[in-house]
Amino acid sequence: MATKKTLLTICAAGILCCGCSDYLEENPEGMLTEEQAFCNLTQLKNNALLSIYNYIGGNASSQGLQGTDRGVYDLNSLTTDEQIIPIRSGDWEDGYLWYRLFQHTWGSDEEPFINTWNYLFKVIVMTNEGIERMENYKKGHAEESMKVNSYIAELRALRALFYFYAMDLWGRVPLITSTGIKTSDMTLSDRRTTFLFIVNELQEALPYLEPIQSPMPSSEYYGRITYPVAVFLLAKLALNAEVYYDNDWTDNKRPDGKDIYFTVNGEKKNAWQATESYCKQLDRFHTTTLLYSANFSVHNETSVENIFTIPMDPTIYSNQYVYFFRSRHFSQGNVLGGKSENGTCGTVTAIKAFGYGTDHVDYRFYDCFYADTVYQNGQIVYDEDGVTPLVYHPLAITQYDLSGLAYEKTAGARIKKYAPDPTARMDSKLINNDIVLFRYSDALLMRAEALVRMGNGELAYPSFSEVRNRGTYSFDTIPSVITLDMIYKERLLELMWEGWRRNDMIRFGTYNTAYDLKDYAEHEADGHTIVFPIPTALLQMHPNWKQNPGY
Amino acid sequence: MRQKCRLIIIAMGLACFTPTLYGQEVIDESELNNKEIATNAIDAIKGRVAGMQVETTGNALSAVRLRGTTSLSGGNDPLVIVDGVMGDIRMLESILPTDIKSFNILKDASETAQYGSRGAAGVIVVNTQQGSEGETRLTYNTSLSMSPIYKRLKMLDADTYRLAIQQFNMGILDKGYNTDFQKMIDRTGFTQNHHLALTGGNESSNYRVAVGYFDGTTVIKGRDENSLFSNINVTHKMWDEFMRIDLGMFGSINKNKGIKDEQKLFYSAAAFNPTFPNHPNADGGWDGYGAASQIDNPNVLLNEKNDTKVGNLALHARLTLQLLKELDFTLFGGYTYNNTENGISTAGDASRSQLRREFTMGNATLRFNKSWNNHTLKATGLFELNHELLQGFNVAVAEMSTGLVGYDNLSAGSIRPWDGTASMKETSKMVSFMGKAEYDYADRYKMGFTLRADGSSKFGSNNRWGYFPSVSASWNLHNEQFMKSVDWLNELTLSCGYGLAGNQGAIDSYTAMRLLRPNGIAATGIKPIATFQELTNANPDLKWEVTRTVNLGINTKMLNGRLVFTTSIYNTKTTDMLYPYTVSVPPFKYPTMMANLGSMRNTGIEFSIGGTLIATKDISLNVSANLTFQKNKLVSLGGNYKGEELYAPTEIAIAGVNGAGLHGDNQITFQVIGQPLGVFMLPHSEGLEFWEDGITTYYLTDGMRKVRGQAIPKALMGSNISFRYKDFDVDIQVNGAFGHKIYNGTSLQYVNIGSLPFYNVLAKAAEKNIYDLTITDYWLESGDYVNIDYITLGWRIPLKENKIVKSMRMTLTMNNVATFTHYSGLTPMINSSDINSTVGVDDKRTYPLYHTYTLGVSVNF
Repeated sequence: MATKKTLLTICAAGILCCGCSDYLEENPEGMLTEEQAFCNLTQLKNNALLSIYNYIGGNASSQGLQGTDRGVYDLNSLTTDEQIIPIRSGDWEDGYLWYRLFQHTWGSDEEPFINTWNYLFKVIVMTNEGIERMENYKKGHAEESMKVNSYIAELRALRALFYFYAMDLWGRVPLITSTGIKTSDMTLSDRRTTFLFIVNELQEALPYLEPIQSPMPSSEYYGRITYPVAVFLLAKLALNAEVYYDNDWTDNKRPDGKDIYFTVNGEKKNAWQATESYCKQLDRFHTTTLLYSANFSVHNETSVENIFTIPMDPTIYSNQYVYFFRSRHFSQGNVLGGKSENGTCGTVTAIKAFGYGTDHVDYRFYDCFYADTVYQNGQIVYDEDGVTPLVYHPLAITQYDLSGLAYEKTAGARIKKYAPDPTARMDSKLINNDIVLFRYSDALLMRAEALVRMGNGELAYPSFSEVRNRGTYSFDTIPSVITLDMIYKERLLELMWEGWRRNDMIRFGTYNTAYDLKDYAEHEADGHTIVFPIPTALLQMHPNWKQNPGY
Repeated sequence: MRQKCRLIIIAMGLACFTPTLYGQEVIDESELNNKEIATNAIDAIKGRVAGMQVETTGNALSAVRLRGTTSLSGGNDPLVIVDGVMGDIRMLESILPTDIKSFNILKDASETAQYGSRGAAGVIVVNTQQGSEGETRLTYNTSLSMSPIYKRLKMLDADTYRLAIQQFNMGILDKGYNTDFQKMIDRTGFTQNHHLALTGGNESSNYRVAVGYFDGTTVIKGRDENSLFSNINVTHKMWDEFMRIDLGMFGSINKNKGIKDEQKLFYSAAAFNPTFPNHPNADGGWDGYGAASQIDNPNVLLNEKNDTKVGNLALHARLTLQLLKELDFTLFGGYTYNNTENGISTAGDASRSQLRREFTMGNATLRFNKSWNNHTLKATGLFELNHELLQGFNVAVAEMSTGLVGYDNLSAGSIRPWDGTASMKETSKMVSFMGKAEYDYADRYKMGFTLRADGSSKFGSNNRWGYFPSVSASWNLHNEQFMKSVDWLNELTLSCGYGLAGNQGAIDSYTAMRLLRPNGIAATGIKPIATFQELTNANPDLKWEVTRTVNLGINTKMLNGRLVFTTSIYNTKTTDMLYPYTVSVPPFKYPTMMANLGSMRNTGIEFSIGGTLIATKDISLNVSANLTFQKNKLVSLGGNYKGEELYAPTEIAIAGVNGAGLHGDNQITFQVIGQPLGVFMLPHSEGLEFWEDGITTYYLTDGMRKVRGQAIPKALMGSNISFRYKDFDVDIQVNGAFGHKIYNGTSLQYVNIGSLPFYNVLAKAAEKNIYDLTITDYWLESGDYVNIDYITLGWRIPLKENKIVKSMRMTLTMNNVATFTHYSGLTPMINSSDINSTVGVDDKRTYPLYHTYTLGVSVNF
């Protein structure tokens, strides 16, 4: 019998086999060893650099800078006067997580905190690894060092981007730039040190970065960190320098932006001058679109206004945008061919800021929200009985827990912003619309703000007006002297649903005050809530780390 | 070579336990449960072995535990060895109980140590039927069974649903029908089972060839199963019995139409709006109810497919040379091939997957056995090589343009997402040496010593080799002079043992290596590029998880063997426990890392008693019972590992409840350091609180989550009674479990009036008027139960001497006869041993209850 012979041969061979240790060596197939994965310039670029771009967006909770739930975006949005997820009779109680976020009464062991921390630092560790692999590669391939140097610069800028979010959320973070560090050797750097590190990294990377518009779909730099992306981030850092320079944020004192200096193109500039200078540099690459909605259309990769986006494609990439799913009423979801969870809506504060219910409704309101009777493709959307039209009531969020109220399921205006993609999949979580992270009109408002803060309200007019009266729209006459109040409000309208509200509220000093349905702010009067607590799990692993002040 | 074991067959060969010195339990073919009609080998010994827990989920075997859970990360199912071929618990699915000669259950480390790195969870050794000398014989077994449903959840019907909604003043979506969706999805199940075996042989050769066929419909519509089995054994002795050759094969093909998501199907059937019609709408589709977002129209779910086809083949050959009278040499080679194919179709998506496993092993054994004067010495040396190859692929497509072709034609899907397609290949290898010596003096004192060395490719190069020693000793008091006068006692043996065994089941190949795998299509550039990244924190220092067991045992036999009593105590400590420990990010890239730290303890005491109460020519009565008390404690989890502080949170949620309004803080069962695995951590409710507006809520007296009980039984029992009168016999098996609790998540969800109008509720909910979905211990109930597993009536048909039929037997069996319990849910027999996301939680996934009636005929030609 052949089988028998084979088996006997195996047995005999086994007995003769002396090289047990050779027998136990593994040669994995279907996976790459470190030597294989970085063996040439293409592999190095793919696996040490481009690989990390898989983590700008995400497809699971707390993963990705935007598009997913319980992560960076939620911490920056659902803790503000912009968005709210009211309790709707059993739905959205979720252990009162959303309530604590909205009321700023979170604990330090909230799951989204540790998961978001782990996400951001995962990417930071990847960039550190990537940089080390690049440096190693350079040693044996001097002739390719030009290319490698530009990759290193891009990785450093990526790392700076993720440090920006980490520092913004927690203030004090471990500043590490290499691998092989022991847990016990890590310390928390103060906020100013991290801030200066980020600025310095970006400035050093700038000369090596590709000086083209990043989201341009026909370029290999589509979705990558280019020169304008780094410049935008530098502008954002400079504008918030008063906040980030401050190591003791619970003493209700802040350094003055006029006294914080940057070196921009060899010139010494204070925070406001630096902001203005960086914003101005973006004029070379970007401009505003005629239509506000063009930046959020299904194929918005053609927008000249978008600076940095998360490229989306329901058939290629796995990046998700779950906010439609989370916001829309069930019946609206049905019409669009999917499920939805009937949750998030704009706060009454935000709705009123748009002038809803008055004669002067801001033109962006209907670009940003579904309100009143819901239409889809020109047709009225009906509730499931097929008779009652679905009507959202933007001003009906009169209390956080809507259970038992007449409009418990339909209160609140829902997210629109990005045009409905007819090819969307998975309950509209997979769409073609690229998610906008950085936008030129934000830079224009930053520039206007810097000018106002320098006392030049008149000089701020052109930038401000380019945003407000973009293209053919001109509803209001704009006062010739721009004020901070105008900018604060304009940023809410222009950047609704874009994840910047917490950043703005902290800079304007309103984050830790009472607003909207958050009518209680005594506990955060010291300002400690402008950063989140270091997650409990990390404090347990690092006995030498101290919790952020006030927690 | 079959394990030599001393079998004591009590009159009629029914019901007895025959523990031998080394903590084995041997279950002979004559003692198997419903041997002729059982279709799963493990069912044949369910309830028969002290310390063994068998878990079935729905209709399928899901887990087997011997002396509890010793590992947190996997490898808790015992090692299975069939005719010398090693495999896992799934291998038992390819053998019919009718083809089994005996089971040996090894639990003590002094026995399991010889299986080294895979013995930690115990070992089940199965020997299949061999041919026998004599004229060729043919045996035919057949059975037919019927499974009518006798109990479902009592939900509101459409009329009372309408009334309730009126009563609570809610809006209703009334489609005007009256549909019982629970009844709609179920039916009476039928099975048929045929088995044919041919045996024969002469002095030097014998053979046995068997084939079996099983075909059945389950109690859920559209869920069918059929299987083919075969088992062949051939033995040949030559050259004056100098050489013996055993060749064997066993295999099976199983086709199973399963349910894609049991919880969703049963949740939907119970809670879907009963006013919806049970016929398709004008477009041919089924109306959904979007507001009830957690469930679907049960018809939609019923139309989903989840079909699995499993093929198993095991070949083995053994060559034994009797070199000397005292010395024999064996070469053994085994090869198993398992192929699992799965196809899933839903309304819009479809996928196919395949996983193939090939396992090749070969060993050489030298055995020495010599007796002189009062001494007996046995020694064994073994060298073994293993090679395992796993290969698989899967493809998923989305946006199917028709629901008609499903996974049979994936081209009907217009989208192939990147993460829907993958393939894999993994190999792992092992080299082992084993030495074993046993010494016996005058049948009074016995000593045994084993040492196994295993080298595995799964571990880091500095940790490849593991050493697993064991020692054991026993003293047969009865053979001492001073015991000679005690004539009612036939045996009294004290035994003890200590040994190490390992577990590597928690880790896959290459876990210790730094390897990059595809992580997605980087969302950049013009051309989509799939990139690579390390996806876990590699730990090059990984090694075996080790269990150390001490056991003591007493075996007694009295009254001429009519009463047998065995007890054994064990204490198992797991150390170097493999677990994904929490690490700090940074410096690590991911928040967990597999490492060896931490420890767990399992202790227990087992009693088995078997007695022949009556044994006359016409009447016999045998009763046997086993009782197990088991205790588990997670001692520690974390510490300093190679200079890095690793730890695990003191409390980690294991299982929770899912459903509408239960998306946060919904954990029920936890893993808590210092507690048994799987404890309920819940706030305390003193009962119900009645409010002025007529609403009732749970009266929360202690909002803190505290340990309120454990999910795993503290005690297990199994009992068998068999009675014979002339040609008639009755066999009854009773099993029980005690000391554990069950969280009745089904009731929590279905009594909440807040679920209305979107989700239906229990009939009793309307009067209770509970408007609360808060998780408290209100629905934590005692899980104690006693279950009459089966009653079999047998009749040996008296035949006149004839040339055709030698003997004939008929049986009538009723399975799942009755359950005695205080538990208020459908059944307390839910997952209470496998530490996973369902342990201890009854959460809307229980099948409707049914009895099974089976008529069996067995004919010997």
